[in-house]
Amino acid sequence: MTAHRPSRLLSVFATLFVLVWMVTAGFPFLWTAWGSFKVEPDFFSRVDWTNALTGVNTVRQTGGAFTGDGYYGAWVLNDFWAAALSTAIVTVATVTLSLILGTLGGYALARSGYRYAFWILIVALIFRAMPHITLVSGYLVPFFELNIWGTLTTSIIVLVAINQPFTLWMLHSFFLSVPRDLDEAAMVDGCTRFQAFRTVILPVMWPGIITTGLFSFLLAYNDFAVTAMLLRQDNQTMIPKIASFLGSIQNEGNVMFAVSSVVSATVPLFLLVMFFQRQIVGGLTAGAVKG
Amino acid sequence: MAEINLKGISRRWGDFVGVDDLTLHIPDREFLVLLGPSGCGKSTTMRMIAGLEEVTEGEIWLGDKMVNRLEPKDRDISMVFQSYGLYPNMTVYENIRFPLRIRKVPKDQHHERVMKAAEMVELTGFLDRRPAALSGGQRQRVALARAIVREPNAFLMDEPLSNLDAKLRVSTRAQIANLHHTLKTTTIYVTHDQVEAMTLADRVVVMNKGVAQQVAPPMEIYDRPANTFVASFIGAPAMNLIEGEIAGGTFTSPVLRVEGLPHPVSGPVTLGFRAEDVEVVSEGGNLSAPVYSVEKLGDSTMFAIRAKEDMIALKAGKAADMEIGETVHARIPPGACHVFGPDGQRVEAPGL
Amino acid sequence: MPHRSFLFFILPSAIAMILFIALPIGSVLVQSLFVEHGQILHEVETCSPFGGCTTETRVDAEATNALRAAQPLGRFNGLGTYLNRNHLATGEIAAFWSASGSWGQFWSRVSQLPFYRALGFTIAYTLVVTPCGIALGFWIALAVNRIPKVLKGPVIFVSLLPMIITPLIGSLVLYWMLNSRGILGRALQWIADDPTLSIGSSGPLTWAVLFLYGIWIAAPFSFVVFYAGLQTVPQDTLESAMIDGASRWERVRFVVIPHLVPLATFVALVQLMDNFRVLEPIVGFNAQARATSLSFIIFNDLKAENGQLFGSAAATSMMTILFVVILLMPVLIRTWRDFSRKPA
Repeated sequence: MTAHRPSRLLSVFATLFVLVWMVTAGFPFLWTAWGSFKVEPDFFSRVDWTNALTGVNTVRQTGGAFTGDGYYGAWVLNDFWAAALSTAIVTVATVTLSLILGTLGGYALARSGYRYAFWILIVALIFRAMPHITLVSGYLVPFFELNIWGTLTTSIIVLVAINQPFTLWMLHSFFLSVPRDLDEAAMVDGCTRFQAFRTVILPVMWPGIITTGLFSFLLAYNDFAVTAMLLRQDNQTMIPKIASFLGSIQNEGNVMFAVSSVVSATVPLFLLVMFFQRQIVGGLTAGAVKG
Repeated sequence: MAEINLKGISRRWGDFVGVDDLTLHIPDREFLVLLGPSGCGKSTTMRMIAGLEEVTEGEIWLGDKMVNRLEPKDRDISMVFQSYGLYPNMTVYENIRFPLRIRKVPKDQHHERVMKAAEMVELTGFLDRRPAALSGGQRQRVALARAIVREPNAFLMDEPLSNLDAKLRVSTRAQIANLHHTLKTTTIYVTHDQVEAMTLADRVVVMNKGVAQQVAPPMEIYDRPANTFVASFIGAPAMNLIEGEIAGGTFTSPVLRVEGLPHPVSGPVTLGFRAEDVEVVSEGGNLSAPVYSVEKLGDSTMFAIRAKEDMIALKAGKAADMEIGETVHARIPPGACHVFGPDGQRVEAPGL
Repeated sequence: MPHRSFLFFILPSAIAMILFIALPIGSVLVQSLFVEHGQILHEVETCSPFGGCTTETRVDAEATNALRAAQPLGRFNGLGTYLNRNHLATGEIAAFWSASGSWGQFWSRVSQLPFYRALGFTIAYTLVVTPCGIALGFWIALAVNRIPKVLKGPVIFVSLLPMIITPLIGSLVLYWMLNSRGILGRALQWIADDPTLSIGSSGPLTWAVLFLYGIWIAAPFSFVVFYAGLQTVPQDTLESAMIDGASRWERVRFVVIPHLVPLATFVALVQLMDNFRVLEPIVGFNAQARATSLSFIIFNDLKAENGQLFGSAAATSMMTILFVVILLMPVLIRTWRDFSRKPA
């Protein structure tokens, strides 16, 4: 694949292919972000698609080529800020708890030579494959009975548990890459198992923990099945809130609330990829190499 | 400082036997080397002493304490690992200080003790570097310093030189020998390199398949190997071993015939002799065969000859000059021969 | 690590998984055997001075609520829920079987039943999207490997977007472009010269769009993994293949692909699991009239406006779990074989 006998034709073809893919991957986001600052007749421009670019109707209705009406409607009139706050609480708590439980468990699995550690990983793999909605259908009746349905705490704990199989697998493979000698040296030097874990292993594990944290953030942030079913109207997170906008898009303008909240919810993800691209790519490959 | 007693210790994983019923007494201040091929159980033995591996059966005594159930931290031993086990997020200074810090040694002693240990291994110039910025030899010396800073009951060293290049290995070996001479701490040293074993050890334990084959000072292991395994494992090249029959002091095999052996046995045996005990002669001798390969070593010349199935190594002076395919004649003095019975165990010659 | 410290470290994680994954599976099993209480009815006789007496049937709201509170699970129904029309529909199938003249007729009637419709789409989605996503990812990886270095960073950045995007958001973004009022939907109408064309009105078109969405979010994952794998292709083997006279394609075929096979297995496993649970695009594309998935019909039962159908959702969930286990069976068997061959 290196520079021996580069074939110009093949390179041109490859570049074209990559360009097509980049447009496919990126353009929908660009289009939606642009359109979120227009009014509905421009965003869905039946008459002439260039209206979406020039914003004819937007100018007529609001006076400017761009409008923040969709954002105002979603964030202020429809309390999207509350959903954003819920999302922030749920994701931060879920990531923190997932990492605490996951580092402890992943460390144990990476360091135990016994067969049961292997079987725990296999069971975790099966759990990982369970569609979340099937588990949710098991939660509702007990949660109603225990009267814990509809609180953020319940959703957080459920998300932590549902993400454990994945977190365990990922951290387990990161811990495997830390040499055993290190814990053993620490224990001979006078540490208990837990001291060795805390003072010697954790400090060298930060890259792995950050990467795993990114992925548990994505799992919590992107969740729809759990939060849509386990939260009330008034403490919904962003994704179920967007879904509930969809129920009322028949009213003129409402669909723009959905569009602008979709764009708003994409921003954190966009920033995440921008700053942590290396870690995300590293995490995917680490999982692949070890898994 | 303490003596170490292993009383019939075994380590098994399911059906697999790692160490089988090993009993060993290691007196205070001894430098004991566990030597054997990989997978022979030498590392497992050491890790059981350190408390990193559970003991399936038997007892380990450090001084007058049975330590089977003690955590590694409570056994007061220190250990040097094959890949060093340095803490990558700490400087060299912090690495050496770590055992003092974690064991709550009074703070005011730390600096003095770290500096003393660093001086002994000549590391004073590197104290604020991180392990990643050190060469292999320097890392190994940090590991040594970290082990000696605490003045423990015993040192355990698990193949400490095997990740170093040949030249460094020689100088670090000398450093370890010197450290032991200065500190006089009981040391258990695991290696698969017989040169390390011969040069460092007060006594060597040769292990194979989880069983101690021979426990003796290095020269005795060399001169009087207890069985064919030890004979073939010790010495470079390994001892030549030839199967045949003995009767009335005469060994016969299709390849060679040696008369005048003092061993009072008869029947099938294995005859062993070392390459350097053989005399290459121009005529006669008990062995003649075509040369298979010639290796000029500088101070001497090694011939390999092929007699039937066996490859036999012969050592000659540096002047010896033969081509591949020429016939070489050799004389094997009966006094240099070792005889091993059908079970592989050494048969002693009377009067020795 | 000794058993005791292992337990200490794994315990929090294990408790979380047992309480919120293992127990719910049990709870689903129990719920699937029950069905919601019907309303309690009682007859009321009302007599008017002129018209005589009439008997009326009324809902006894108080008694109904009391019963529901006392037995929240509902009444025991055995396997009834599994066999009813909304699930395995054994009765209906038997009827179709005797009534249908041909296989085609039989299948088309079976595929109208809610459970089989959802199962059919879920399996089709999994089987189409998984290999296509992997193949597309592989080709992107090969292509990106050839383009100038400065472009690689931005390409990877843009490629990651569809993967990390919230599935519901991703499907909405595409839906708004593809529906009859969106830019791509309009383009389709123009190309087909049919102003009434809309993805929502055509079954095959809905399926195709959902598949495209699936490939769009699945390809980046395979791309990143394969791209990383390409960086570790053994150069020695590649060069000796060149010396041995292998053409460019033969090198890909005999060196690169074998090197990537373990990665492909991993990607396939992850993608199978993820694609089988497809739910959000059906919500986002508002496609339930044309396509439903197993996850979606569970979701729908639980979301039902007039009383959630726990029993029905649970029965579908149990069967979904069964399918997941079947899906994982090859992996489990292989792991088990590898494991029992390996000593200690």
